[in-house]
Amino acid sequence: MGHGERGRSSKKMKYSGKDDQKMKNIQNEEYYLGDDADEDSRDGEGEKKDRDYSELELKPDHVNRPLWACADGRIFLETFSPLYKQAYDFLIAIAEPVCRPESMHEYNLTPHSLYAAVSVGLETETIISVLNKLSKTKLPKEMIDFIYASTANYGKVKLVLKKNRYFIESPFPEVLKTLLSDGVISRARFSSEPYYGGDGFTVGKTSGELEAGPGELLNEAELAAAAEEKETHSFEIDPAQVENVKQRCLPSELNYPMLEEYDFRNDNVNPDLDIELKPHAQPRPYQEKSLSKMFGNGRARSGIIVLPCGAGKSLVGVSAAARIKKSVLCLATNAVSVDQWAFQFKLWSTIRDDQICRFTSDSKEKFRGNAGVVVTTYNMVAFGGKRSEDSQMIIEDMRNREWGLLLMDEVHVVPANMFRKVISITKSHCKLGLTATLVREDERITDLNFLIGPKLYEANWLDLVKGGFIANVQCAEVWCPMTKEFFAEYLKKENSKKKQALYVMNPNKFRACEFLIRFHEQQRGDKIIVFADNLFALTEYAMKLRKPMIYGATSHIERTKILEAFKTSKDLNTVFLSKVGDNSIDIPEANVIIQISSHAGSRRQEAQRLGRILRAKGKLEDRMAGGKEEYNAFFYSLVSTDTQEMYYSTKRQQFLIDQGYSFKVITSLPPPDAGASLSYHSQEEQLSLLAKVLNAGDDLVGLEQLEEDTDGMALQKERRNRSLSEMSGAKGMVYMEYNSGRHKSSGQQQFKKPKDPTKRHQLFKKRFV
Amino acid sequence: MPQVKIIAKNFMDMVASLTAIKLDKLYNNVFICEAILRSLPPLAKKYVLQLLYTDVPVPATMLEEWVLADGVSKHRAAIDRMIQLRIFMETTDRKKGTSYSLNPTFQKNLQKHIISGGVLPREPMNSNNAIKLPSLQELETYALQQWECFLLQLINSGQGEKLTGISSSMMKIFQRGLLSQRDRDGPRLTESGFQFLLMDTNAQLWYIIREYISNAEERDVDPAELISFLLELSFHVTGEAYNLNTLTEVQRNTLKDLADLGLVKLQQGRKDSWFIPTKLATNLSVSLADSSIRKEGYVMMETNFRMYAYSTSKLQCEILRLFARIEYQLPNLIACAITKESLYNAFDNGITSDQIITFLQQNSHPRCADRVPSIPENVTDQIRLWESDLKRIEMTQAHFYDEFPSKDVFEAACDFAREWRGLLWEDSKRMRLVVKSEVHNKMREFLHTQSK
Repeated sequence: MGHGERGRSSKKMKYSGKDDQKMKNIQNEEYYLGDDADEDSRDGEGEKKDRDYSELELKPDHVNRPLWACADGRIFLETFSPLYKQAYDFLIAIAEPVCRPESMHEYNLTPHSLYAAVSVGLETETIISVLNKLSKTKLPKEMIDFIYASTANYGKVKLVLKKNRYFIESPFPEVLKTLLSDGVISRARFSSEPYYGGDGFTVGKTSGELEAGPGELLNEAELAAAAEEKETHSFEIDPAQVENVKQRCLPSELNYPMLEEYDFRNDNVNPDLDIELKPHAQPRPYQEKSLSKMFGNGRARSGIIVLPCGAGKSLVGVSAAARIKKSVLCLATNAVSVDQWAFQFKLWSTIRDDQICRFTSDSKEKFRGNAGVVVTTYNMVAFGGKRSEDSQMIIEDMRNREWGLLLMDEVHVVPANMFRKVISITKSHCKLGLTATLVREDERITDLNFLIGPKLYEANWLDLVKGGFIANVQCAEVWCPMTKEFFAEYLKKENSKKKQALYVMNPNKFRACEFLIRFHEQQRGDKIIVFADNLFALTEYAMKLRKPMIYGATSHIERTKILEAFKTSKDLNTVFLSKVGDNSIDIPEANVIIQISSHAGSRRQEAQRLGRILRAKGKLEDRMAGGKEEYNAFFYSLVSTDTQEMYYSTKRQQFLIDQGYSFKVITSLPPPDAGASLSYHSQEEQLSLLAKVLNAGDDLVGLEQLEEDTDGMALQKERRNRSLSEMSGAKGMVYMEYNSGRHKSSGQQQFKKPKDPTKRHQLFKKRFV
Repeated sequence: MPQVKIIAKNFMDMVASLTAIKLDKLYNNVFICEAILRSLPPLAKKYVLQLLYTDVPVPATMLEEWVLADGVSKHRAAIDRMIQLRIFMETTDRKKGTSYSLNPTFQKNLQKHIISGGVLPREPMNSNNAIKLPSLQELETYALQQWECFLLQLINSGQGEKLTGISSSMMKIFQRGLLSQRDRDGPRLTESGFQFLLMDTNAQLWYIIREYISNAEERDVDPAELISFLLELSFHVTGEAYNLNTLTEVQRNTLKDLADLGLVKLQQGRKDSWFIPTKLATNLSVSLADSSIRKEGYVMMETNFRMYAYSTSKLQCEILRLFARIEYQLPNLIACAITKESLYNAFDNGITSDQIITFLQQNSHPRCADRVPSIPENVTDQIRLWESDLKRIEMTQAHFYDEFPSKDVFEAACDFAREWRGLLWEDSKRMRLVVKSEVHNKMREFLHTQSK
């Protein structure tokens, strides 16, 4: 433990540091030292890594100031400082949180985080002066230089969608000229500009920044200056090239990152949607704050809002739609969550039933009137193959419409390529991405920055727990020793493909699981979800314990039935879920999770699963710090000791640990006196289970593969490395045959272990079908 | 490897180990008598006071009657201690059995002390314009700085800003047992050395002083005289100035070393020179258990295994480095992380998880010290689990046998080994077995007879 909390952000620093001319001057030793913090190079070298900034000059009144700032961009914040709240709001706007436990937070300044800061209206000088006010030491010169270099060009160029045409807009014509001298951008420009001014730019007017900024920290004069009207220049670009142009402008390339704003109040072209929040929809303080970041200057900014699961992301989405009051396209990951989004819209807003429609393979509705809300899945929009006539019509309508808001749920799970496709198909004025965990195992978070926009707001989990907004979860890692026989088989080379099945089916783990289910059902009357990625194990466990299960092949109707029973029935308190339960399936009743198998080292999966039980239950005053119930939710992760699982579980927990959660290790489950009251007590039973595992075909004991699974791809490398026979590709032919039938009998295909999921992935499908 | 277990022994343990003559000589000093009295276990104190004005030997049976049945072990310990320190003289008579009397010198001096009070051989100097005394605060800072500087030099980190005046030969003596000298990669901290660094200042001081005394003879200094001077010093008043001309030559030399350790501060005026005892000196006669001076803690341990130490001290940084990975050093903060690797490193060096946890608890920042527990439970659990993970393998010296001439011989050998409880492993297919070393000789004989 204690590793892997850094890495991503410092990588970014290196990335931009290398490629960017403007930043050459600040490439000094510290920056390279900073890069050493990358996960891979972190083990083993103790001495080199400690960065000594003890020469920084302390201010005389440093005790009253809350933070330290290091030359390599790292910032330490004392959470017990009286200035903590202000400092936190400020830092979350300008820097990337690294870890946020109880007493001390760590943040990293990165070009992307500064980009996000500028895009919510903070200016370079403000950033530096506020940072200096809060810092215990004099700001290191390197940091000041870095902020200047990273933000000098920020906020100067905007991408505006007007009447279905894209324009690049800036108050500085010389900046536009610089951009046009670049090949990519000049090619993207429409040469058929309607009229040529002196520079060939269209000249217009726009109102300035009206936002109050981060409260008291800004002075009045700065605001007044910003509020003046500015003359802007613009040129039009090819919609098909928008993506390329945006990427070209990022800090890593031309370093003129574009802000996307939508002046929805002055948009007279697109029809208004009659939508208001219902009076009972009262956004909580952090929801208000995230919205204020989005609508700071009276316009709508594109970007991502990060809130833990259960903290009410959907209300934020619906509120945003109700402010913009234009047509909304809402994208979710699967059909169940499409239903849930449609429900949320109806729950929180005054939208009429005929104005909201779902577009899935099962239901192809169309809204009436000229504005409305469409809820669909990423797959439906990005689907490349032939469509039925009515869905083709709906897609055409989507293409031609100018959407006021593109609301994207669970942005962290969708592959970047699918985003590209969706965004190129649909034209939207404003994109809002929602997620609980901005970690991706494929390290593609930066992609989201230009595909959607900067991170607008990220809530602190612990603060929400303290406020009673989300459940206070006791996390535990239960160590289950492998039985002798299982471990012997585990170590055999010929069982390399069954390793996972062996450590998941470890009888001691089964007994621990059975014990926990019994304890929580009978002693506390809790509702329990058991997660297993391994379908073989899922089936075995569920059958043996006689509990219902849901996995990829479970039909929509059956899922709904099981979930409904779980919610309402007193007799059904435990449900087994495969990976399909990770995202979006809303099961507010559950407050216990038992994880018996998981997807390698995916930090995101761990966080998402925890999110299933974060929705706060019971009375608010009980949940608040010092309330009656210390813990009201439980998260157990069962791991077989001495197996790969141990290594993975350490890695998986990293994200949550960085959010301030702690995992308690339990080594004595089930209690020794449990004896024959739990299954697999006798050795014969254990051995027959072992035989069952060993006799199951390799393809049966593998992981379930879902279409929207990106972690799978990212982590696949790791898995493939383990077995030579898998890499030889000798069995590839067989799998192609299975592939051909995948759409008709999706139930069957879920069971097979994909040898190389890249072959089966949505994006690569065309080549093989 | 000789196991030098470092236990911060009480000063009095050292006194007790002196020869009888030296001990008796020591009791000529009133202050030592008082210091010894203070150091005794409560029951022993009571006995001394009870017998202070009794001139005849008291039978052991009578003493035993004083205690209740469940106090016998304490009674025994008290008597043992007093005999060890030669406070009690034991006489055995065939008729009356064992009886005890107080050491006459000790008794006489203590009686005198109670009546007239002790007078130090020197009086504090009158504070006049010539003497500018440091404040207690300054003095404490000075003492800790000196001590830290000494420790840095001791562990040879080369980071001490200024060198102390302690001779390198003396330093070598202190380093004995703490550092191992290996020519190739320079001196390295030994297991005891690591443990030493994790102890609190008082315990460390004891260790060093003990070394200092045990080495006294090599420097032509009488250990008893040294002990008596050190004990006397502990009765001086912290922060007062005492004139150096009241001291003997040997004492003045000793004082120079003590100044380097931070026990006293030396100052020089126009005419006179004087020394000012610090807290470190006046705490010398206090027994370890009741040293209640607690420094304010500086370490904050987080649930994510990150550790933040509010410290400017190089030494503390070095100490943290013993079991944590230092990541950032800021002007008044050290940010580090406890990782599996850093802990394995520490365990390798003989530091135990309990020592680390105790160290973290003792030095925990006031903000966390009030929390229960002050160190997050998951961190302490994990540290212990990592340690116990390393202890899962048990090593047994053993011998391996193969190439048995026949199955019968092999099986007979197995049975034989089993009989002697020495069979560790057998592979009957390939006729191989592993036997504990204790049984090896017997086994060899057995096989010898078999082959005949």
